[in-house]
Amino acid sequence: MNPVEELKALLEAHPTEVWDKQMVLNRNEYLKVKGSIDLQLYYIESGSVRVFMDDGHEEHTIRFGYVNSFIAALDCFLTEQPSEYYIQAIKKTQVKVIRKATWMEFIGHSGRHGELWQKILELVVIQQLEREKDLLTQSPAERYKRVLQRSPELFQEIPMKYIASYLRMTPETLSRIRKS
Amino acid sequence: MKQTNNVLIEDLLDRTRLLLNEISTFQDLSDGQLNWKSNPDSWSILECLEHLNRYGDFYLPRFEKSIQQAALVSPNTDFKSGWLGNYFAQLMVPENGAIKKMNTLKDMNPTGSQLTRDVMNRFEEQQKIVLDLLGKARKVNLSKSKTDTMLSKFIVLRLGDVFRFVIYHNQRHVSQAGNVLKAMQKSEHNLQHQAS
Repeated sequence: MNPVEELKALLEAHPTEVWDKQMVLNRNEYLKVKGSIDLQLYYIESGSVRVFMDDGHEEHTIRFGYVNSFIAALDCFLTEQPSEYYIQAIKKTQVKVIRKATWMEFIGHSGRHGELWQKILELVVIQQLEREKDLLTQSPAERYKRVLQRSPELFQEIPMKYIASYLRMTPETLSRIRKS
Repeated sequence: MKQTNNVLIEDLLDRTRLLLNEISTFQDLSDGQLNWKSNPDSWSILECLEHLNRYGDFYLPRFEKSIQQAALVSPNTDFKSGWLGNYFAQLMVPENGAIKKMNTLKDMNPTGSQLTRDVMNRFEEQQKIVLDLLGKARKVNLSKSKTDTMLSKFIVLRLGDVFRFVIYHNQRHVSQAGNVLKAMQKSEHNLQHQAS
């Protein structure tokens, strides 16, 4: 089991209820909008979401959340300050919601919980470093190749316009690269 | 009503999030459906949103100006409603789910104008500006800072109350648009039923 699966199993087996609620979002509906302080962590039971920023001219997709994984506006989840991120459902999506206070209590409940959370955070750091390399890679074709190798499932789950935004290229460029 | 800036702003951001979610379902409708009305005197979905866009055109620049001129405070400062501002904001809240009928100022009444889907996109853009403004408003004195209103040249209300009024008013008419959609689906269903 990977750390996310193991932690999810432990959450379900926990003697007290940890989930605050369940939510169902239709395509294009928002879990979080710009400017809010969102102290919740979401577990995606079905569907997928994207995290993006809007600079007033353009939306920049910075991360995707897939089925059977956790997603949060991690900056405000950690700092408790307002976050610029939007989190939006890409298709019909069902999430389970846990509040930060409940989460921190759960994480402190046993050594193993804490270890798993640390492992997940380490994975996030590694992913962000890879993402930083993506952004520093000049050639669009090279950026595409890196992401295809790293997360091939992306191309099954996510519409091309959002992948293009994630790769910092137009949908036309992405389609040209994929054909060649 | 008394609460901290942080609590008020989170509440208004979440209401605006729900507004965006509600209008996202309108994007799949045809032009005919967006212009449908149950009778000549009532509003279509686009007319509801156009009415809100006209309010937005008036209030959004005034929010911007009030925020720029306002004194900075901690987000944990208390915001206290004024009695008149609170009255107008509360007037927008549906009672037991029912929307009370009110008269509309002539300039704000979209009846009879030619409306396209662009109305919907403009409304969405305005909501994103509202999110920006709320983000900035978290750190200003929402009780002492005043904003002009459409009601009269002589009525200026607390910035926090005018934000509440405008966002509650958005909710009022987006929920009206939702009711138009429900009535339309019912009438489409009946038509199909008669035809078969």
